[in-house]
Amino acid sequence: MLHRFFITIMGVCSLALGAQEVKFGEINLEDLNATEYINDTEANAVILYKKVNSYFITNGGNSRLVTEVHERIKIFNKDGFEHATKEISLYKNRSSEETVSKLKALTFNLIDGKAVETELDKENIFKTEASYYYNKVNFTMPNVQEGSILDITYRLNSPFIWNIDSFVFQYEIPVKQLVAEIRTPKGFNFKKTPKGEFFVYPKVSTATDHRIGMDVVKTAYHLNNVPALKEEKYVDNIDNYRSGVLFELVSVDLPGYFRSYSQSWADVAKTIGNTDDYKNELDKTRAFDDELDAVLSGLPSKKDKMDGIFKYVKDQLTWNEMDGKYFFNGLKKTWKEKKGNAADINLSLVAMLRYAGLNANPVLISTKDNRVPYFPTVDGLNYVIAYVKLDGTDYFLDATHEFSDVNILPIRDYNWRGILINNPDKVWRIVDLKQPKKAVKMFVLDAIVHDDGTTDGTVKARLSNHFAMNFREEFKNLDEEEYVADLEVKYGNIEISEHSVQKLKDFKGGVTEEFKFYDEEGAEMMNGKLFLKPLEFLTMEENPFKTEKRQYPVDFGFPFKNSFMVNYTLPEGYTVESVPEGLRMKIPGDLGTFTYMVKVTASKLNILVNYEINQSIVYPENYDFLKEFYKQIITKEAEPLVLSKITNGNSQSTTGGR
Amino acid sequence: MRFFLYFLICPLFVVAQSQIYPVSKIPDSLLNDADIVVREDFMDVEVFALDKMKITVHRVVTILNEDGDSYGTLSVGYDNDLKIRSVSAKILNEQGEEIDQIKKNDFKDFSAVDGMSLYTDNRVLAYQYLIQDYPVTIVFDYEIDTKDTGVIPSWVFMPGYNASVEQSRYTVKYPNNKLRPTIVERNLGSFILKKRETEGSFAYQAQGLKAMKYESLSPSFAKTAPQLMVHMPNFNYKSVPGSIYTWKDVGLWMNGLLEGQDELSPETISTAKQLVTNAKDTLEKAKLIHAYVQENTRYISVQVGIGGLQPISAIEVDRVKYGDCKGLTNYTMALLKAVGVNSYYVVVQAGRDKVDFYDDFADLGQGNHVILTIPYNGKYYWIDCTSQVHPFGFIGDFTDDRQVLVVKPEGGELMKTEAYLNEDNLQLTNAEVKLFKDGSMDAQLNIKTTGIQYDRRFFIENETKENIERFYKNYWGSIGSLRVEKFAFQNQKDSVLFQETLQVSALDYAAKTNDQIIFAPNVFNNSGYVPKRYRHRKLPFEVQRGYLDEDNYLISYPEGYNVENLPQPVHIQSNFGEYQMTYEATQGGLRLKRKFLLKQGYYPPEEYENYRKFRRQVAKTDNTKIIITTDQ
Repeated sequence: MLHRFFITIMGVCSLALGAQEVKFGEINLEDLNATEYINDTEANAVILYKKVNSYFITNGGNSRLVTEVHERIKIFNKDGFEHATKEISLYKNRSSEETVSKLKALTFNLIDGKAVETELDKENIFKTEASYYYNKVNFTMPNVQEGSILDITYRLNSPFIWNIDSFVFQYEIPVKQLVAEIRTPKGFNFKKTPKGEFFVYPKVSTATDHRIGMDVVKTAYHLNNVPALKEEKYVDNIDNYRSGVLFELVSVDLPGYFRSYSQSWADVAKTIGNTDDYKNELDKTRAFDDELDAVLSGLPSKKDKMDGIFKYVKDQLTWNEMDGKYFFNGLKKTWKEKKGNAADINLSLVAMLRYAGLNANPVLISTKDNRVPYFPTVDGLNYVIAYVKLDGTDYFLDATHEFSDVNILPIRDYNWRGILINNPDKVWRIVDLKQPKKAVKMFVLDAIVHDDGTTDGTVKARLSNHFAMNFREEFKNLDEEEYVADLEVKYGNIEISEHSVQKLKDFKGGVTEEFKFYDEEGAEMMNGKLFLKPLEFLTMEENPFKTEKRQYPVDFGFPFKNSFMVNYTLPEGYTVESVPEGLRMKIPGDLGTFTYMVKVTASKLNILVNYEINQSIVYPENYDFLKEFYKQIITKEAEPLVLSKITNGNSQSTTGGR
Repeated sequence: MRFFLYFLICPLFVVAQSQIYPVSKIPDSLLNDADIVVREDFMDVEVFALDKMKITVHRVVTILNEDGDSYGTLSVGYDNDLKIRSVSAKILNEQGEEIDQIKKNDFKDFSAVDGMSLYTDNRVLAYQYLIQDYPVTIVFDYEIDTKDTGVIPSWVFMPGYNASVEQSRYTVKYPNNKLRPTIVERNLGSFILKKRETEGSFAYQAQGLKAMKYESLSPSFAKTAPQLMVHMPNFNYKSVPGSIYTWKDVGLWMNGLLEGQDELSPETISTAKQLVTNAKDTLEKAKLIHAYVQENTRYISVQVGIGGLQPISAIEVDRVKYGDCKGLTNYTMALLKAVGVNSYYVVVQAGRDKVDFYDDFADLGQGNHVILTIPYNGKYYWIDCTSQVHPFGFIGDFTDDRQVLVVKPEGGELMKTEAYLNEDNLQLTNAEVKLFKDGSMDAQLNIKTTGIQYDRRFFIENETKENIERFYKNYWGSIGSLRVEKFAFQNQKDSVLFQETLQVSALDYAAKTNDQIIFAPNVFNNSGYVPKRYRHRKLPFEVQRGYLDEDNYLISYPEGYNVENLPQPVHIQSNFGEYQMTYEATQGGLRLKRKFLLKQGYYPPEEYENYRKFRRQVAKTDNTKIIITTDQ
């Protein structure tokens, strides 16, 4: 699916400026006097200036990537104080680690019209070994007041020279001026992938860097007035919209030497396909062949084999909740320990499917929490699933999730397209992941209305696809008694009995939930009449979309349909006085539909309500429609159906509705 | 006396033998409501000297389902004075057969960051076992040597809700009477327990403790759990020897940590004096100093030195203008002292849950926070120096109404912090509401809050417009298409009173049918909260803080509309509180008066259904609807 949102905003690119030399420790009084930031008067703090400058140095044969950071923050009020505390994460592995040096920081305060500075003491800078993989440096600025300016500078030294941290242009507070520069040795070509709403084209120039004795390419970004990144609900991953640039080495082109890493998605696929994991390890089937033969023996067709192996892998292996496109354990160890990361599990699945003679291959993806990779990148892909082509049909499989099924993947997988690594046929290309099928939730509610306003009856709910998957996932660790008690509260304090759920432990097919209820407040009694809600306690009461404007797309995860059939049996001696009119409504662009129908018979009322959203992602330009759509549903569901007593010998006829 | 026989034969360190823990051996009664079963939980403490103690732990836990997964994380904390001598674990399958072995090298070393602190000295060795099949049994053993006898571990016989216990044992050995620990038993009453004391040792054992299930509104597990509180009257802590028998002694020991920390520079002293030159009395001086601290410092946690018990010096806080609760409290005390105002350092267990310090058990282990108290004219004013926004003398629900340790020069003393009772926590809402023919409405309203209700509201004053709008849209979430047109706040800190003046509108407030409009006249206080139903309530429940809400709404109908029948007034009087709702017809509309008093209280499980009924009646009445019709 094309990410239209991204494409449209790319046009908004903007913001050039005249560069201005900013030196550490030299602040201007005007900034110190300021009490608000003109471009965002509600900001608690603003980054007045941020400069990031990365370059390579060599020292006795060792190359390092150095990043100089200079950051100047203005604090306006107490809620901005949190920006006076900093944490720098430093990666490490067994043999090398990143370090911080030359950390200097000053707090400036306005005292009697003058700038007075306080220096951050060395003893108030803390270095901690946070885990096996990284260290942390923490400090908080001294003497921070409302109005303070913090000036911070430090140098990051990294031995991991090909992992250039992404440049970030947008933060939780606005940025007034930002400069980001990187000097890369000529011949080392890095792809620069922009993302987010605010972007400028870099100035690119070449120069000679005497420290490494090489020509370098200097890439510099200058931005002014970048607004704060605002949080919104139902966003897939806010980092997708945070402005910045990602770097990735694509080729090394030196005199007498050329190596390409990844230019197109096909290159990316080939690069990954050529790694040992995909090239060799994947076909080492000795780890499981005996066991698998037993599993396969009773399965005649290829489709049966696929389903059987999928189930077998799910049953046997446990996901350790780690992403990964490369093995963490490898086939052998995974199979021995019965656990592994996403690659261990899904590559095992591919290996087994191949062993069984199916046309199975890995498909690389980037999960929702890992941003959308708009441009070809190896690093941007963090996960692998299995893909089978069988009788012209595409099947995608992810065995990490207890309740996933063939072509019903965990929601995290539906972030973007996939990259097919078909080594046997030498096919490396993009594949379109099938979008989630529409999930359906269907309720049938039968209720008997009593003349005291109480109702009782039964509810039968059927859930399919991702609704079923989510329900199973939520329900699996719940205590049923507790769940029912919560359901009673959720449905307006009804009393539930004989609750049951079918097909809960399965991962195939839908789930059915059934219960009996008694609702003390089923109908409202006023002026001798009974007022019923069309959907009884299943009525939607609150619009999930309350804000006036929307900045980022709304991510529903999957398209869905909610369907309700409510059958009321009227109390003796009552007749239908009025019912709301039927309604059919569509959101432009076939985004969604809403249907409302009422059927009246002598002693019964049947209400049919459907609403569906046809796309998993709704773009901001359609937000108003979406909000209005929900508003209409709520308004319609609030309109009562009115029952009145049949007066002696003069039974009122049905009026008002059809 | 089988238990002690077993004791004598068995060495303190039990060597785990895998095949003795098959899941089939767990009695059925311990499987009910349990996510985990503690098969064996043994702690043996051996005190050798004032600064030498060995602790041996052997814990066997069977995890039955994913809700017990947190027990798959094994960890042991350590620091400079506490060394881990050995640590290992074994993983057993359902039959009790060993499937994995975890050695000391497999454990990872972490900083014990709490997510709050900028820095802490504490570290932890941890291993997380990824569970593949349930049930699984984890045998966890470790031994530690420590110099800190000041924090001898206490013992809880049950680890939490949804956990049952087969065997739990706690023993202490000590060399002489000077090093004899004090043990106070809590909530042991109904549990099967054996205990024995000899010269030089204590031993407790419990068996067959059935799992308890959490029920809403029940008091915290720690309050009801069977436990031993253990303390060494003569001890060593972070190389500081001490002797504590009473709360007075704890105070004296704390004084040792505070001594000399209150020094300030002459400049700061003169600044402080200057601040209060025009102050009429001590209280005003205190208020001025408090305001100065609020203006000039912020809260940052740095846990170093004497086990995180000693505050950073006042001079240092004065210089960097930040500190943790101890540092800021000590700093405020120093400033107050400089202007001749007497104040005390107070140790408290903070949190919404009210936890008292025990009268009968004095030790260093209670409390997690430090506040300040200023005595004046027979009254104590309580101040949390970590808050830059709370009014003077107002501590809110973080440290209210609980027994705390006040550190006075002559020693410690237990006192109760200020309580905000029932009517103190007031919310008074006055509103004028205009209903329109199309079902929309406009309203002007004024909300006054005091006490704990103030504490829950006043923060919005400093929020952005966007967040303020979001707050009200969520707060009145069921009002269709609510818009906040205008808002203004008045925070009267002196009287701890917060006022919100609002203008709101809602396009879809009322429902319509033909010529009728149906709406709930209780526009702004209709939460509908009813506690959930328990078929068999087992635990007591509590209303930790009461409150009083009063609502007066004047609602005008659209022109030409009238009401046929107003609902009957409702008055409910109950042990739990009182509720009143009246409707009165006015010219072209109605006046609604609502009063709801909920009382603070602690009730036995049998009362739960009555409480639910009470809340249900309230919710139902709150949601009463009326119909207006037009005569045309």
